[in-house]
Amino acid sequence: MAQYFIKRILYAILILWGVATLVFVLFNVLPGDPARMLMGQRSDVASIQAIRKDLGLNRSKGLQYLKYLNDLSPVSYHSHEPSDYFYLDPDKYAPYTRLIKGKNNSLILKSPYLRRSYQSRKQVAGIIGQTLPNTFILAFSSIIFASLVGIFLGILAAIYKDTLFDRLSIFFSAFGMSLPSFFAAILIGWFFAFKLGDVTGLNLTGNLYEVDDFGRGVHLRLKNLILPALTLGIRPLAIVIQLSRNSMLDVLSRDYIRTAHAKGLAFPRVLFRHALRNSLNPVITAISGWFASLMAGIVFVEYIFGWKGLGYVIVDALNKYDLPVVMGVVLTISVMFIIINVLVDLTYALLDPRVRLG
Amino acid sequence: MNNPLLSISGLTVSFPYSRGRHRAVDDVSLDLSGGRSLGIVGESGSGKSLTALSVLNLLPVAARVDQGSVFYYPGSGKTLDLLKVPPRQIRQIRGNAISMIFQEPMTSLNPVFTCGDQVVEAIRTHQDYSYGQAKKQALKWFREVELPSPERIYKSYPHELSGGQRQRVMIAMAVSCNPSLLIADEPTTALDVTIQQSILQLLGGLKERYGMSLMFISHDLAVVSQVADDLAVMHQGRVVEKGTKEALLRDPQNDYTRGLMACRPPLDHRPQRLYTLADFTRDQRHAAPGPKNASTAGQKSAPTYGQKSTPPTGQISSFDSDPHDKPSSYSNELFSLRGLSKDFALKTNFWGKAVQQLRALDRVDLDIYKGQTLGLVGESGSGKSTLARVLLRLILPSEGLFRYQGGDVAEFGKKQMQAFRQQVQIVFQDPYSTLNPRLSTGSMISEPLRYYRYYTDRKQRRDRVMELLENVRLTPDYYNRYPHELSGGERQRVAIARVLALNPGFLVLDEAVSALDVSIQAEILNLLQELKSRYHLTYVFITHDFSVVRFMSDRIAVMKEGRVVETGAAEELFRSPSHGYTRRLLESIPSL
Repeated sequence: MAQYFIKRILYAILILWGVATLVFVLFNVLPGDPARMLMGQRSDVASIQAIRKDLGLNRSKGLQYLKYLNDLSPVSYHSHEPSDYFYLDPDKYAPYTRLIKGKNNSLILKSPYLRRSYQSRKQVAGIIGQTLPNTFILAFSSIIFASLVGIFLGILAAIYKDTLFDRLSIFFSAFGMSLPSFFAAILIGWFFAFKLGDVTGLNLTGNLYEVDDFGRGVHLRLKNLILPALTLGIRPLAIVIQLSRNSMLDVLSRDYIRTAHAKGLAFPRVLFRHALRNSLNPVITAISGWFASLMAGIVFVEYIFGWKGLGYVIVDALNKYDLPVVMGVVLTISVMFIIINVLVDLTYALLDPRVRLG
Repeated sequence: MNNPLLSISGLTVSFPYSRGRHRAVDDVSLDLSGGRSLGIVGESGSGKSLTALSVLNLLPVAARVDQGSVFYYPGSGKTLDLLKVPPRQIRQIRGNAISMIFQEPMTSLNPVFTCGDQVVEAIRTHQDYSYGQAKKQALKWFREVELPSPERIYKSYPHELSGGQRQRVMIAMAVSCNPSLLIADEPTTALDVTIQQSILQLLGGLKERYGMSLMFISHDLAVVSQVADDLAVMHQGRVVEKGTKEALLRDPQNDYTRGLMACRPPLDHRPQRLYTLADFTRDQRHAAPGPKNASTAGQKSAPTYGQKSTPPTGQISSFDSDPHDKPSSYSNELFSLRGLSKDFALKTNFWGKAVQQLRALDRVDLDIYKGQTLGLVGESGSGKSTLARVLLRLILPSEGLFRYQGGDVAEFGKKQMQAFRQQVQIVFQDPYSTLNPRLSTGSMISEPLRYYRYYTDRKQRRDRVMELLENVRLTPDYYNRYPHELSGGERQRVAIARVLALNPGFLVLDEAVSALDVSIQAEILNLLQELKSRYHLTYVFITHDFSVVRFMSDRIAVMKEGRVVETGAAEELFRSPSHGYTRRLLESIPSL
C-alpha cells in the first residue's frame, strides 16, 4: 500500500512537470508581447525595456524555462547577487526556509512561486488562494448533490425497471446530458432567481461571503450556493443516474446475487449489502472523470452567477492577457485533478478487495 | 414412495419468445424422498437448472411458472406448495431447509466480502447466534468440508482461493443450517477432474453423515451416477426417462438416454467413429446440420423418442489395432521442442524488470509427428494453452529450441513466417467468443483467403467457401448467417472451416469441444477425425477430458505444472501409466 502510494506520488510529480512544461510552451508560442500589453498605448521604449527585463523576457527561452521551473519547485536554487536572474528575492519567495547556504547561493524550501499578475501586481498564489476555496466549495457541493441524488435515483430506476419512473429518469438524464451548462445557468437563474425570486428568496448573483448593507461585517451566504451548484450538478447528475442504474442492473443479474437470494436474505439486505458496493465502482470512476468537465463548466457558471472562483479569475485573466494568472490557475486545476485521481484509486481499494494495490 | 420430501408435479416454466412463449420446462414431475439423492441429467437447454431453481423460487425474472406445483414435506405431516407460499416463508426455507450450490464457484461468491463473513451471514440469517457463535459454527463447517487452514480461509476474499476451495466454501455455506435438501447445480463442471472427484466424495459424505437429500444436476451422466440413487434424464424441457440408477443404467428404455450414454467416447478402446444421437433416433434433427438451435426449435414439436427402437446399425470398429499408427511411423517429425521454457513476469520492479516469475513451461521436450494426433492433457494451470501459443509462435519461448520441419522457428524470416502462419492454425475453446459477431459466416471464412490473395476472383472465392462449408457439413445457406444465429456446435464448425481455408497441415485444437454438449461433441470429434484422414492433417489436441483424448490421440503427453511428466502411445498410456500423476488422473475419471 505504502509502495503504491509512493509510486502514485512519483507519477503525479512527473505528470505535473509535463503539465508545467506544456503550459510554458503554450504561452510562449502565443503571439503578443506581454510588456506591450501591460503598458497599453502609452508606451515609451525605455519603460518597455525595463518591464521586459523585470519579467525576464530578454533572456533565452531555455533560461526562462529553467527559472520558471525553479520558481515552481518547492525546493529551489537561488543566487544572493541582486543582479542575477536567479536572485533570491525575499519579496518573492517569503516565507522560505534555507536548506543549504553557500557563499553566493543557497538552496531553499518554499511554497511554489507563481509570479505576479501583470495587471494587479498581486502575487498569483494569493489570488488563487482567495478564489480556490470558492471554486472548491461550489464544485464539491454540486458533485455531492449529483452523487447522492444520482445514485439514489439510479438504484430506484434499476429496481423499478421498465416502469414509468424508470422511463422518466432515463428521459431526464438524456435531457440533462444534452443541456449546455451556460444555457442551463441562464435558464435556472432567470427562473428561480428572477421569476420566482420573491418566493425562493434567491439572488441572481452572489458570493459565499458578502459584506452586509451596513458594511459592518462579512456574512456567510450559503443560499447563494444553491443555484450555481444545482446548475453545475445537472450534467453529472444525469450521468450518475444512468450509470448507477445500469451498473446496478448488471450487478443484480450476477451469480453472487442469486447466491444471496438462495441464502434466504431479504431483498433490502441483498440490495444494500451485496449489490450496492459492487455497483459503485464504475460510478466512482465517472464522478472523478466528471470533475474535469466540471472545471470546464464552472467557468461559465461562475461568470453567470458572479461567483468569484477560479473560473471567474481565469476568464478575466484571459481577457487581459495576464499570463502568470492563467498559468497559475491551469496548474492549480491540474494539481487538483491529480489529487482527486489518487483519492479515487484509494477509494477503489477500500470498496473492492480485488484491487489490492501493489 | 416412503418418506417423501419433495414432489414436483406437472411443472411448466416458460420464457417470452419472439412469437408467444417458449416452454423451457414442460410438464416435469419428479419425486425425491428423504435421505435419497436424485440425479438430473440433460444437455444445455434441457430445463434441468430451471427445474431446480423453481424449487426455491429463484427463477430469472423473465421466466414464468405456467402450471404445476412443488410440494415440500417438512415433516410432521405438513405439506407446502413452494410455488405458492408467501415470499417471507420461502425466504425462511431458502438456505435453511433447502439450500443450493451453483456451477460457477468463481462468480457465485460476493467478491467484496470475506468467505467467513458470507458463511456467518447465512448462519445468522436463520439461527439466533451471536457473531462469535456463528463464527465458531462457520469454522466448524469449514473443517467439515475439508478446507485447509480454516482460520485463513475465513479471512480470505473469494479471489484469493482456488476454484475447488471456493466451491467448498459454497458447500459450507449451503449446509451450514443443516438443510434437509441440498440442490447442487453442476457443482463440479468448472473444476479439474481430481478436484471434481474430491468434491463428489465430500457431497456423498455430507449426505450420509447429516441425512440430507441431494438433488444433483449435471450434463455428465458419469458424474451424476457417482452420487445419485435415482436418475432422471431431461431433454428439451421434458423428463424423458426416470428410475433408479441401477435400472436406468443397466437397461435404458429411451432412445435419447441410450444415445447420451453411447456418444461419450469410451475409455477402454478407441472406436473409429463415435455414436451420435442420430444413430439412435430416426429423427433427422440430430443429424448435422441441424436446425438453427435445437433448444429453441424444440418448442413446437419436441422429437418424441419412442420406446426402445432397434439397436444402432453400422458396426463401429476399433481403431487401436490399426496398422497405420504403429511406432514405425514416428519418424517424420513436424515439430520438435527441446528444453523449451516460458516465464511470465508476475511482479515487476520500478524499472519494469521482473522480480517474480511464473514458469509456465518448464524444459519441455516434445516431438510432434506428421499425420498423427498428439493429445495434450493436464489440469488447469498445467501450461497446455501456453504450449499451444508457443507452437503457433504467438509468444516466444524464454529459452530452448523450437524447430518446425527442421528449421529453427525463432530465426524465421518474414517469408518463412508467412508460410508458417498458413500452415499452422488453431481452433479455440469457446465458439461464442471466437467468432466476430458482426461478420457473416461467408465473410469470416473468406477473410484468410482474401488476406493471402488465394483467389482474386470473387466467384472462385465463394466457391471455395461453399466447399469448406460442405466439408464441415454445413449447407450453403449458412453462407449468409451471423454467429448469433448459430448453435454452439455450428459455430465450432464455422471456426473449423475458417482454419481449413488456407489448407493448413497442422492444427492446434485447444479444448475445441469442451464447451459443447456431449452429443454435439461426438459429432465434432467425428468430423475432426474425418478431416484429418482426408487432408492428412496433424493435430495437437489439448483437453482436460481423458475420454476425448483417448478417442482422438495416437500419442498422449501429460502435463503438470509446466512440465511434461509422461509421453507415450495412447493405448499404452491408458493401459499402464508409468507416472503417479497420470495414474491419479485416470483414477479420478468418473465412469458409468
